[in-house]
Amino acid sequence: MRSPSKSSIQGLLLRHEVLLLGLLFVEILFFLNNARNFGTPENLSNILRHSAEIGLLALAMMPVVLTGGIDLSVGSTLGLCAVLLGVMTHSWHWATFPAALATIGFGGVAGGINALLITTLRLPPLIVTLGTYSLFRGLAEAITQGSKTYREFEPSFLGLAEQQFAGIPIQGWVLVAGALFFGLLVHSTTFGRSFRAIGYSPEGTRYAGIPVLWRTALPYLLTGFTAGIAALLFTARLRQARADAGSGYELAAITAVVLGGTSIFGGSGTVYGTLTGVAAIALLSNGISRIPAVLQAGIGGELASLLTGALLLIALATPKLLKILQDRKRDQTA
Amino acid sequence: MNRYFRELSVASALLLLLGVLAIWAPHFYQPQPLLSRFTAQSPTLILTIGMTLVMLVRQIDISVGSQFGICAVVAGLLAGKGLPMPLVFLATLTTGTLMGALNGTLVATLGLPSIVVSLATMVTWAEVLRLTQQGRLINLPEGTQWFGLSQVNGQLLILAGAIAFLTFSAWFLKNRAAGRFVYAVGSDAEAARLAGINPKTTTFMVFAVMGALSGLAALINLVQSPQVDPKCGVGLELRAIAAAVVGGVAVSGGRGRLWGTFLGLLLLSTINPALTFLHVEAYWEKAIQGLVILLAVVADGFRSRNQNA
Repeated sequence: MRSPSKSSIQGLLLRHEVLLLGLLFVEILFFLNNARNFGTPENLSNILRHSAEIGLLALAMMPVVLTGGIDLSVGSTLGLCAVLLGVMTHSWHWATFPAALATIGFGGVAGGINALLITTLRLPPLIVTLGTYSLFRGLAEAITQGSKTYREFEPSFLGLAEQQFAGIPIQGWVLVAGALFFGLLVHSTTFGRSFRAIGYSPEGTRYAGIPVLWRTALPYLLTGFTAGIAALLFTARLRQARADAGSGYELAAITAVVLGGTSIFGGSGTVYGTLTGVAAIALLSNGISRIPAVLQAGIGGELASLLTGALLLIALATPKLLKILQDRKRDQTA
Repeated sequence: MNRYFRELSVASALLLLLGVLAIWAPHFYQPQPLLSRFTAQSPTLILTIGMTLVMLVRQIDISVGSQFGICAVVAGLLAGKGLPMPLVFLATLTTGTLMGALNGTLVATLGLPSIVVSLATMVTWAEVLRLTQQGRLINLPEGTQWFGLSQVNGQLLILAGAIAFLTFSAWFLKNRAAGRFVYAVGSDAEAARLAGINPKTTTFMVFAVMGALSGLAALINLVQSPQVDPKCGVGLELRAIAAAVVGGVAVSGGRGRLWGTFLGLLLLSTINPALTFLHVEAYWEKAIQGLVILLAVVADGFRSRNQNA
């Protein structure tokens, strides 16, 4: 064990969360000076509205990654749930409220399928969720025949996406609720703390008397339910449900989790780190599209994704590179 | 029997599907459309060979679709400028190798997880494509298509080349030391290291080869049409991974054969035309592809459970 005391300040600066906060700070300063109307209250509400779905998915993905797993199917689950909401309200003429509850339930079923395959048969999460990624999106496409769009939702449901409570959009409150739920679950319950233990060493956790299988299943189940909730937000925001809803969201969610400092191998990470990761990505994509030159060229979306990808690479590589350099220096002095 | 269980079961599923087609949709077997269908799959076959190598060393590369797209656009732009074809080929293969080497450096040298590394490079390259091309198609000069041969000869040449390359790769992987290194590192990197194999070099090389194969696949794709679509690589990584998984390559590394991957790809790519010929709506393709992947892993899961019990 290396003692942290000698280079504690340097160690603190190298902590992932600190680097990320620094990045967030730089982003805000840069966009305040260069992007049009970035700091206005309207824009802050706007950012919250647009980042709630990916934010929720990232929060749910975090415990999955913490146990050493991954869920590639969240975007497809969102799409399938959105389409099922459309089917229930349009073809079956259900009222919005029971249909919304059922949508969340379907999300749970989708998550349950992942959980069942991963835990009972001990299959690799990467491949199982790759299969369901294809299966759920494919079901959504088959139901809509690839092109059908559901548009006639109840105005009161669509209005939810525009509403504010205490000056903060509804999406913001949902995100806060999600953050509190997952934050408390992961950090303050023995239940949630076992996720970290499982990710660190599944065998050791089993010997400690913790029901590893059941506790590995839970995060996938929660991811499914969360994707159902995100599908409601998504449909209300875009005022329509289509088979391609939420495609690519799994990548955005994983990016936010990893950017937020959760180890992809499991065993370490924090929920507030994930939230910071979500914020870094949300501010980046909003700010970039508000820079006059980018706005003119109409390349905001592409540039934001490009920078997110590059950011992820840099965030991963920098600590490793610094560590290699440090080790080399120590070897030379020794 | 047991050793080739997976290959045999995939082969029987394929035969069953082909039999159903022979009875209910015999026009599936008309020679010209069949040849076109096989030729169209040959770029994916090349990618799948690379993906099998990557999965054998217990890594994954989800950036191959984006790499394929970049290589296709680079080749298209250079060919459009009137560069001689050998130079275009060289430049495209170099581009692919460099992109693969970047993944390899990050994974092997820095020890970063390949899923995240290739996720990041996948997004980065895809957005570079969208930014630079904005979805524009690139027109190729005349005489590029089918190497300037007639369509049938060109298709036969591509198909023969792809099969020859598969045969060579399978032989190399089975009989050459470098091929055995791939299995050794994927089975147990530490044991491989103690046996005198450098796992980092092996992993790096596999990613570099994967990049070069993306370039090769893009070139084989290029000569099949008069235009290059910058979006041509979207989703190919999933097809390649699916073919490998169905063909019995284990994500846990060190287990799987190229011939299994080949059968997996044949099965997956017969499903879609089969749907059309049997008048099932084509919208079901993705769902069925997902189901086939899940069936393959579930079968693996049951088998390993029975073996352990």
